[in-house]
Amino acid sequence: MDESELHALVDGELSAQRRREVEDHLLAHKEDAALVENWRRQNAALRAAFEPVAQETPPLSLRNAAARNAAALTPPIESGAIHWGRPSSSFRPARRFDEAKGGRDRRALIAAAALLLFTMLAGAALFLAPKVVSGRGGVRPPALSQSYVERADIAYATFAGDLRPAEFDAARKTELLAALLARIGFAYAPDLSSVGLRFMGGRLTPGLLRPAALLFYETAAGERVALYFERAEAEPAALTAPKPEQGLTAVEWRGAGVAFVLIGPLSPDKMQTSAERAAYEIVAPGVSGQ
Amino acid sequence: MGQKEDVFLHLEAATPALRRYARALGVSMGTAAADDLVQTAIGRVAARLRAKELRDAEAVRLAAYQLLTALAREKLCGHPEAGFPPRRSALARGLADLPFEERAALLLVVLEGLSYDATAQVVHTPREAVVMRLMRARAALAPLDLRPSSAPHDGVRRGGAHLRVVK
Repeated sequence: MDESELHALVDGELSAQRRREVEDHLLAHKEDAALVENWRRQNAALRAAFEPVAQETPPLSLRNAAARNAAALTPPIESGAIHWGRPSSSFRPARRFDEAKGGRDRRALIAAAALLLFTMLAGAALFLAPKVVSGRGGVRPPALSQSYVERADIAYATFAGDLRPAEFDAARKTELLAALLARIGFAYAPDLSSVGLRFMGGRLTPGLLRPAALLFYETAAGERVALYFERAEAEPAALTAPKPEQGLTAVEWRGAGVAFVLIGPLSPDKMQTSAERAAYEIVAPGVSGQ
Repeated sequence: MGQKEDVFLHLEAATPALRRYARALGVSMGTAAADDLVQTAIGRVAARLRAKELRDAEAVRLAAYQLLTALAREKLCGHPEAGFPPRRSALARGLADLPFEERAALLLVVLEGLSYDATAQVVHTPREAVVMRLMRARAALAPLDLRPSSAPHDGVRRGGAHLRVVK
């Protein structure tokens, strides 16, 4: 018998039938059986020696590497697919934000700066925490303690179950948009009928730092999806990965100086498609592209 | 596109296994250096993910092993066995004495549970060469009297698509 067959036996590379044949061979050939036994012992020794490494908690540097890469990956709407907030888009209330979107490098730099800032602020917060709490009046928190996704999650949990979740229903869309524009400085209710979402209406809701909008859409099956948006010109992204409630998927993106979150109970793929549609509608309203 | 985060999560979940492999492959280089390699490899895989070169979880896993192997090769072949601590187990010394390519093949198959084909892909070699390296590595380690130092660990192996029962 070829020795490679014995290795293949040890490594589980044989078909069931061939495996039986090789095992039969081992019964009759003690020296081959001893080889196989020796290799199996080697395997066990190797695994026993190095398995503890895999059971350890990875060092901080590696956990950071994972988190950093997650941060770099999470803007779920890739600028390659949707050119949100690009200079040529028809409306852009916040010039500053457009400039900040110069490119990936730029964004990475901003992320790094935000991380540094956060570290410094976290240190400062240890000393200043009592003061910040007591002086809450109109003082804006220096870094976002919550993400827009969490905020959208709470707003969704609060209103989505209501019989009438919207303050202004679909028939009063003009009124809704006027109210949102006055309070938020941005108002747009994208038409998502192409992805099977019917506009139900919307409302003003408390945002992270300012008033925010919560627009509701409904699928034919009655599932409610909400589009949350809030002006967000220079705020750094939240540093913890947002975790929407179980069963909900949230997609976050930025554009034209506004933070958007689409949240709902649909499948992640469906949510992604809907969010892309919404982002597209907002950047290039009325253009029926796909 | 919706699966992108899942793919990333897979990379994160693979980190402990990558550390295990790096530690065994760079058995002579020490913990910190091995972790540095893992960190660099993860960064490069993430870059490839962003460039959309990797489609599914398995591709991510293999790419991570591939990059890690290449980094270790570069590092170890630069300054071979620098300052290897003398008091190490027979197994560690046996591993360190293996030629790099044989050690990589052995560890990918045995420790990481990769198939011969996957291993061949990771080290850019025909499958037959992988088998040859495996045979040579095992032959070199055979004289060592290796006994598992503790109870069989297979029950707790993680992430093994290819768990094998060791009798």
